[in-house]
Amino acid sequence: MADLEIRNLHVRTEEREILRGVNLAISKGEIHALMGPNGSGKSTLANTLLGHPAYEVTEGQILFKGQDITEAEPHERAKLGLFLAFQYPVAIPGVSVANFLRMAINTRREQPIGLKEFRELLKEAVDLLEVDPAFTSRGLNDGFSGGEKKRAEILQMAMLKPEVAILDETDSGLDIDALKTVAHGVVRLHEQYGLGALVITHYQRILHHIKPQFVHVMLEGRIVLEGGPELVERLEREGYDQIRKEHGALV
Amino acid sequence: MPLSSPVTPPREREATLYKPLAGAGWRAGANPTEIKDHNQARALAERMRKEALAAYERLELPVWRRSNFWTTSFERLAIEELAPRHHDPNQLETRELVEKGLAQLPDRERSGRIVQLDGSIVAVELSAEARQAGVTLCSLTEAIDSHPQIVGAHLARRLLIDRHKLEAANAAFWTGGIFLHLPAGAELEAPFELVQLLSGEGVAQHSRVLVVADRASDFRLHEYGLALSAGGGQALHTEAFELYLHDGARCRLAHLEDWGGPEVFNSTVRFVGVGRDAFCHWLPSQLGGKLMHEHLELSVCEPGGGMEFRGLFFTEQDELLDTFAVDLHQVGPSTGDCHFRGAATGRSRASMEGLIKINPGAQKSHTYLQIHTMMLSREAQIDAIPSVLVSADDVSASHGGTVGELDEAAIFYMQSRGLDRAAAVRVIVEGFFEPVITELKDKPLEELIRSKIAAKLARAKEEIEAYAQSR
Repeated sequence: MADLEIRNLHVRTEEREILRGVNLAISKGEIHALMGPNGSGKSTLANTLLGHPAYEVTEGQILFKGQDITEAEPHERAKLGLFLAFQYPVAIPGVSVANFLRMAINTRREQPIGLKEFRELLKEAVDLLEVDPAFTSRGLNDGFSGGEKKRAEILQMAMLKPEVAILDETDSGLDIDALKTVAHGVVRLHEQYGLGALVITHYQRILHHIKPQFVHVMLEGRIVLEGGPELVERLEREGYDQIRKEHGALV
Repeated sequence: MPLSSPVTPPREREATLYKPLAGAGWRAGANPTEIKDHNQARALAERMRKEALAAYERLELPVWRRSNFWTTSFERLAIEELAPRHHDPNQLETRELVEKGLAQLPDRERSGRIVQLDGSIVAVELSAEARQAGVTLCSLTEAIDSHPQIVGAHLARRLLIDRHKLEAANAAFWTGGIFLHLPAGAELEAPFELVQLLSGEGVAQHSRVLVVADRASDFRLHEYGLALSAGGGQALHTEAFELYLHDGARCRLAHLEDWGGPEVFNSTVRFVGVGRDAFCHWLPSQLGGKLMHEHLELSVCEPGGGMEFRGLFFTEQDELLDTFAVDLHQVGPSTGDCHFRGAATGRSRASMEGLIKINPGAQKSHTYLQIHTMMLSREAQIDAIPSVLVSADDVSASHGGTVGELDEAAIFYMQSRGLDRAAAVRVIVEGFFEPVITELKDKPLEELIRSKIAAKLARAKEEIEAYAQSR
């Protein structure tokens, strides 16, 4: 059984059905890419996996490490080892990156993390993401540039060491240098401790740096096509229109 | 200091409820050297009491109304049933009450501390360093005899005594009182603590504070106002606070008031005068009280003066807070920066009226006023009213503000990192106040304010959640 199993997931928001029977299985150590055009339901899936209250699961199940988390609170899912790198990270003024990370780490521990251990972990993550250490004393995402926000997401991921991370369009808004740095961070975490990841994107460029083993294509709330890295090349060549023509009947 | 500055008559303003003192004072314009000895100082104090008593007897309990949407009324205050209570510092009961109050404060290094319990000064301490620097910390009653010229030059110079019955009550009936004087050049890193304790129901505490900082002195001043009992009937705290920063003096001033518990009514006026090239960073924090009416005025009185005016309030249950904060530029060049933050839970109501006033001729004054508020329950109400009155043409003055609620996206974001919902709410609200808290640059006081905010959030946890769910 995979660590994260999504079974026949149907999701509705604002009276509209967005996901219409999604099946997906991701295990620790695996990198999956979820591709699809705008509005296909990728971000809905990401938010639903972490339990966003605006998304209602009307049918199906989400299992994580054998446990049904379909109705679990977001913080319970996070503590089990799920992580969402947001497409649009929210600013939390007045709460520094470092303080927030300490709080988040402490939710996973019985005893609060010591200052020395925390600083060591933070330094490792800061080095990995090539950010200025002063960055961690700034208010979380408050006044951050687009690139800084995305780095902060991966910095948090590096500190919290989830088992499976969902990266929701982490590549959007990044210049090529920032993209490389962020992608490098993800790859290092994958190599170091076997991070499992679902990389959500509608472009191919991040997948040149994070090589997925499994690629899934989503159209209109369903996964219509699955394959290996060759699928990325095909999408690059043919675009989504061709896939839509072939699989339109399905959706 | 422009101790002989002309009084500018307060200008009528239509949109807002209050008038700035704007240079007015019971003794504005008086010769600062007219009081030469303690007999004259005593006579001055007596004259103030007498005039104030006449006003007290003439005036009704105050009611302020802003058309159709705001009323601050002290009519329910049974003032005749309240009386000053006096304490003997040597009595065990006094010592226990003082200990109970001081236990709420940070255990930290201080330059000095003075405690007024109800109507009496019951403890005074001064560090060796402060003593060596020539600092005086004593009751105002004592200072009238020991420092008549300083008291005579400053007492009620920029405060009025008869705008309303409670102001008059303070000037007529004050007891104990606090006097702090820093001589020229005195520099002290550890704060002076002025502690006002209110023991419980039935008490009327009328307190006057006079702080005079001579040329180029540099110090921190923390004033605490705390209620000692957790329930009971009415009690009253009135306060008239004056701080005069003479040329080049610098002060980091903070107030923490938590009159929550018994039914404490609070009517306070505070004035800070900033002299030539002097500077004040001021954070009043209002963290509890049944009915609080505060007039806070920070005035740049001489060229080159600068100030950072901060404010923090958090009301709960059925409290009502009415604050009028004035950033007054009497002369230029001057710099100002005002930043107020407040939140409300329960059925509480808070009005924060902030005014920038730039007097005629105060050219090259530059200032900004911002008020940010956060509503945490359906029935809470906050009125944030920033305004600007400018009478000079070579200045910059602007204002802005926000009224917000809990951001569900931010809550989800933090939950996705492992914080439960209650912790996420706490972090958001604490973070909301952080910009003004961290500027204190004083860890023990910062922690105390944070703990008070956390306690309020814990008390209001269920109603905050209910409000969030209902939206």
